[in-house]
Amino acid sequence: MNRIVITIILILALFSGCTDVEETVYDNYAAEEFYASEEGSDAALASVYEQIPGNWNGVGYAGADRGWYDINSMSTDEQVVPHRTTGDWELTYAKLHKREWLPSHQYFNNAWNWLYESVFQANLAIKQLETAGADPSKIAEARVLRAFFYYLLMDAFGNVPFYKENNMAADQIPQKNRAEIYEFVVSELKEYVDDLPAKKAGDYYGRFNKWAGYTLLAKVYLNAEVYTGEAKWQECLEACRKVEEGGYSLHSGAMDESHPLGSRYFELFGDKCPNDETILAIYTTVNVVGRNIMTIRSLGGTDGTLLAGSNGWNGTIVPKDFLKKFSDNDIRKRQFRYGSDPYGPQPEGFMEYSLEVNNLDNPGAAPNAGARNQKFWPAEPMTGGGASNDFPIYRYADILLMKAESHVRMGSSGAAKSFIDQVRERAGLEPLDGAPTLEDIYWERGRELAFEGHRRQDMIRFGKFTEAHGFAPAVDDHYRLFPIPTSALNENPNLTQNPGY
Amino acid sequence: MRNNHLIRGILLILAVVSLNWGYAQQTITGKVTDAKTTQPLVGASVVIKGATKGTITDTAGMFKLETNQGDILKVSYIGYRAKEIQVTDKTTYNISLMPGKALEEFVVVGYGTQEKTDVTGAVERIETEDLNKGAITNPVQQMKGRAAGVDINQVGSEPGSTPTVRIRGITSLIGGNDPLVVVDGIQGNMDLLNQVPPSEIESIDILKGASATAVYGSRGAPGVIIVTTKKSREGDVSVEYNGTMSADFLANKLDVFNASQWREQARKWDVPYSADHGASTDWYDLLTQTGMTQNHTLAFGGGTENFSYRASVSAILQDGLVINSDNQKYIARIRGKQKALDDKLTLTLNLNNTNEKSNWSPTGVGRADFQSNLISNAYVAKPTDPVLNQDGSYFYDEDVFQYINPYAVAQEVVNEGSANNLFGALEADLELTENFTFGWFGSWRKVDRNSGYFAPYKSTLPNARDYNGIANVNTNLQDEKLMNMTLNYKKKFDKHRIKFDGLYEWQKQTYQGHFAQGRNFINDITSYNALQLGSIEDVLPGDISSYKNDRKLVSFMGRVNYSYDNKYILTASFRRDGSSVFGTDHKWGNFPSTSIAWRITQEPFMEDQDLFSNLKLRVGYGVTGNQQGLYPQQSKQLVGASGQVYFNGNLITNFAVTQNANEDLRWETRFQTNVGIDFGLLEGKLTGSLDAFVATTENLLFNYSVPQPPYPHGSIVANVGSLKNEGIELTLDYKAISTEDLTLSLGGNVSLLRNEVLSLSGSIDGIPLNTDYVGMGYNAYLIEGEPIGTFNILEHSGKDASNEETVVDRNGDGIIDQGSRSPDRYMAGSALPTYSFAFTPKMTYKNFDLSMVWSGSGGNMIYNSIRSSFSYFEKLGKSNLLESAKDLGLFTSEYGSDLWLEKGDYVRFENLTIGYTISTENLKYIKSLRLSVIGNNLAVFTGYTGLDPEVNMTGSAGSGADTGIYPRTRSVSLGLNINF
Repeated sequence: MNRIVITIILILALFSGCTDVEETVYDNYAAEEFYASEEGSDAALASVYEQIPGNWNGVGYAGADRGWYDINSMSTDEQVVPHRTTGDWELTYAKLHKREWLPSHQYFNNAWNWLYESVFQANLAIKQLETAGADPSKIAEARVLRAFFYYLLMDAFGNVPFYKENNMAADQIPQKNRAEIYEFVVSELKEYVDDLPAKKAGDYYGRFNKWAGYTLLAKVYLNAEVYTGEAKWQECLEACRKVEEGGYSLHSGAMDESHPLGSRYFELFGDKCPNDETILAIYTTVNVVGRNIMTIRSLGGTDGTLLAGSNGWNGTIVPKDFLKKFSDNDIRKRQFRYGSDPYGPQPEGFMEYSLEVNNLDNPGAAPNAGARNQKFWPAEPMTGGGASNDFPIYRYADILLMKAESHVRMGSSGAAKSFIDQVRERAGLEPLDGAPTLEDIYWERGRELAFEGHRRQDMIRFGKFTEAHGFAPAVDDHYRLFPIPTSALNENPNLTQNPGY
Repeated sequence: MRNNHLIRGILLILAVVSLNWGYAQQTITGKVTDAKTTQPLVGASVVIKGATKGTITDTAGMFKLETNQGDILKVSYIGYRAKEIQVTDKTTYNISLMPGKALEEFVVVGYGTQEKTDVTGAVERIETEDLNKGAITNPVQQMKGRAAGVDINQVGSEPGSTPTVRIRGITSLIGGNDPLVVVDGIQGNMDLLNQVPPSEIESIDILKGASATAVYGSRGAPGVIIVTTKKSREGDVSVEYNGTMSADFLANKLDVFNASQWREQARKWDVPYSADHGASTDWYDLLTQTGMTQNHTLAFGGGTENFSYRASVSAILQDGLVINSDNQKYIARIRGKQKALDDKLTLTLNLNNTNEKSNWSPTGVGRADFQSNLISNAYVAKPTDPVLNQDGSYFYDEDVFQYINPYAVAQEVVNEGSANNLFGALEADLELTENFTFGWFGSWRKVDRNSGYFAPYKSTLPNARDYNGIANVNTNLQDEKLMNMTLNYKKKFDKHRIKFDGLYEWQKQTYQGHFAQGRNFINDITSYNALQLGSIEDVLPGDISSYKNDRKLVSFMGRVNYSYDNKYILTASFRRDGSSVFGTDHKWGNFPSTSIAWRITQEPFMEDQDLFSNLKLRVGYGVTGNQQGLYPQQSKQLVGASGQVYFNGNLITNFAVTQNANEDLRWETRFQTNVGIDFGLLEGKLTGSLDAFVATTENLLFNYSVPQPPYPHGSIVANVGSLKNEGIELTLDYKAISTEDLTLSLGGNVSLLRNEVLSLSGSIDGIPLNTDYVGMGYNAYLIEGEPIGTFNILEHSGKDASNEETVVDRNGDGIIDQGSRSPDRYMAGSALPTYSFAFTPKMTYKNFDLSMVWSGSGGNMIYNSIRSSFSYFEKLGKSNLLESAKDLGLFTSEYGSDLWLEKGDYVRFENLTIGYTISTENLKYIKSLRLSVIGNNLAVFTGYTGLDPEVNMTGSAGSGADTGIYPRTRSVSLGLNINF
């Protein structure tokens, strides 16, 4: 019997050899191997672009809700989502519009988190591309993208944490002041913008090419005075001239009944942004890459179904004072929908929106109160969650207006006239009677670039942002910067809140 | 295929049975009776020891057997103590058997049994007759109130849903709080209990203390539930039917506005007339019905000396309270035991096949601001909305953002699934010498889950409307293999008894699955059965996916039991586990335990006292681990798909780091000390035990939020914090009356439990991590120094002139800061109960029996999110509200204040069973017959205003919040139990 015991023990000992507990990964890639490959470093650059389309949870530049676009648009005189007496819509938009915000406002947090995630992805891509010895144009692209995000951060929040390498702990990142960030953005752009490919459309649709890089630089110079106190109008003008080397022109504004809004102008905001005018666009296919909620969010429930095929959200309205700045012969006025004979299709049973809005919050606006915006006439495919219109970040009309403004600011308003007139004429308007004033440019920008995410920056630059308008009373100057979100302050002890908050 | 296995098994068993009848030369006759009642025992086994001969008594208790003089007769009968009698020259034998259960003196501990008097750890045993009866669909429901320190929490009564079990509190924050389940040696998660027919359970043993659970090492930390199913014994023939039929009623309903109340409020709050669609609908009533639960089990078995088997077939059928939700479960099992090699080898085969089919009421439906289960959307639907349009189609309100018609969802959405569970196990025990036994055990379990979902356009769900119908199928395959070998040594000498167990165990679990989704169907005919009929253009990222991962666990365990003079008992064990899921250098962990017991009443100095009939002191300490909450592959930095991106003029898959590397990922370890006393007083009439424990979880696993940079992903699974649980448990049983006609026993238990998050901070790879105030949702947080799920919340103060809620500005800075660490918040209790109790009286009078279960818990707070969602008049235009909203009169609020926080204390009249055993003396074929009436959840006493005070208390996100539950049933059942 003892022999059996020994045998058993031996068998046990044999099985003890079965102590292999190594792990096999079947359904993922190991990060190190992946990024070391060429496909991997390309994917790292692509990942930066993945940040830009508007998406859920306030992620992205524009197209979706609750993020960067909303804080830069709902806080202006151009649009707001009122609470409705039917119970729809929280008060967060009304609070943005009336500038009653606190540092804990969720959308600030969303925008902030999105931008820092984007900075991180850009840092990662730069590192991966450099390590992989990638083409300099790709490295430049990643660097310009990073400059773009820092520019957006500095524009919205002023003094923000700054880092260039991902090996730093988030709570150690030092806060830099607005002027320092500005310096970084300018120097980075100046150094790398010429490395960007001078190619349009095709492979470069939706990417930073050389001219998109210069447009960004022009934007930064345009607002230099706001950022640093020192104006850079001449530099802005020179950057704009560089963009013109790309051969851009204004897209036609001709009447065309095949478009629901009756003008080819609105092709600029359609399924694909036309290459003649668009400098940088966000590619969008709903629920695949980003989404575009601009019109569906505005239209009423049944109207959404009647006009576009999906239930409208009955959200965004256009304050009447803003709308009144459009004359009736301005084709751009067709982006608004109100009254008994609205622009665009009028199927049986369409909703009549009143221009007047009685109340934004309590008890709220009546279901059909407020003019609606249909500039981004929904492009297929569309769902109740949005449509597939691409979104223009930069287009040539903006370049023309930047040039006009720079000239006026530098005192040569005569030189500015032709630029602003080109934009006006395309919109079906007469040229200006005389040389443009700053006020002319301010409102031309408002009309041309409405709902494209530029309004807050423009209002600040023209000194209008803190003035009273509509339901929004005048506020203190510190509102020209958004507060640094509470959660960011909690995470990084190096941060100081913006003054006034 | 599976049924073939089963049939083959049965044939094999039958073949073996037929071999067991032999012939002999000399004939004896006899009668087997109950020693107490002198009633004949029908079907008692009479066998000749060491031979294959045997017989079974007939209906008069008589038997006839060919024997030789000197043979030893072994007479046994289920529920009686076996007797051995030597055959002499007599030819007739009257044999009386004493009732009593051989197993009662044993408890099942991990990898073996132990005599109850030898137990040194905190172990609780529930016998079959003490398990709850009635509308029972899962063994867990049978345990409610039956064991101290074992909290069973049932959130709603959705058919097929399983209550959660927490033994001695929350041991881990990452999950893995579900106890390990062992059914006849097969190890698994809680879902293994689904394969056990409730009436086929012989006993449930619950290992609570670490000295008991440490033998299960890395899987032992949350406690262990060991289920032993009924077996047949030698000479036993039984055919048994157990059935209950229950009618299930709505136990509670919330009061919402009816149509006229809604209109009255609408006028008051300026809701436009257009929002009133003129109907009067009670949506909740429309979506609910009287449910039904049926439970049928037919069990049969038998055996001779060398072979026994038991088989059963069960059907558990439920129709839920919510229309179109039901569950059907069928369980077939067979267990056979064969002895060979002069009884030295015992082979046990265990096969089980369980098929489950469910129609689930859809969950996660609703508008952006209220996502819940379907039934809770009945609160959203306005009473003035009609159900159908005049043309018979479902009503849909285009003017309401993301409107859904809950009745259309209930009727049109297909949300069904099936699960096929199969396990087989083989156990071989070989007696090597008098002292040595060798055991081999192997089990293989496969669970295939398939589900299908189809939401047509007319279901009104937003997604279905967007895509003109959406359908998907989902398959998950689970494969769990386990093999172990044991070597046991047992020796007695003088006053010493020593027992040693050695174990090697190997486990591998593989998980695989795939998912496919189709959209845009031209009609609804094919439901989810032909996804290819959808439009290829509408295939989106995420519509096709698959996965595979696995985990391995290798263990060595040794255990020594030593007893001196039956007075001093020592148990010590050591287990070493290696698991594939940890970082390269931390795959192995050690789990030692030791415990001692002192049977004080065995001491000479206790001989003269008669206060204590039993007094035993137990002290134990053990280390256990946890890895079940940890998914495979979590120590590695991985890159996975993260949506699509447009790049280079093409749509391509975007890649992102989806997980941070943590090569330091290691075992979460729980250190537990237990002190307990078992006592018997008043000549054994009052028995009980008192246990106190302290358990600390170190290297607490958690999905910590980490800063980005430096981490490429925003969270990391790491071992950083620690957690403490302390508790006291008291179990008492008082046999107040025990006469021939009348018995009354009063049982009950009380447990007190306190937990504290000791720390959440530390460092990972040298990077300091200051984790604190981790939100669990609905104002519940993990805060260092506070219990898990502490409500850190703003204090309601009233409302302002525009009926907006106001809260207290505690730090008086004029700003209400809603940040998690805001000084405006205060701590207002915890989401987890601090005490629980049960009272379980039992009475018999002649043929009647009566038992009750009252149970309760409290000390916790519940955030009534349903009340907050249906109390703001800003929503009135698109939603119904609770009647209670009228008194509050709030238009809106920016906060989630303590206005919605309520005490969670309750007492529930869980179970009332009244049974009558019909005398079967004159019935030829029926051994026993019992009828019973059972009530479940007959009453709830609570101050909580929600549907039911049992809400999510799992210790994970969402704990302590009532976000809308499936309604609880109140059931009345009829039970029938027949033994043939």
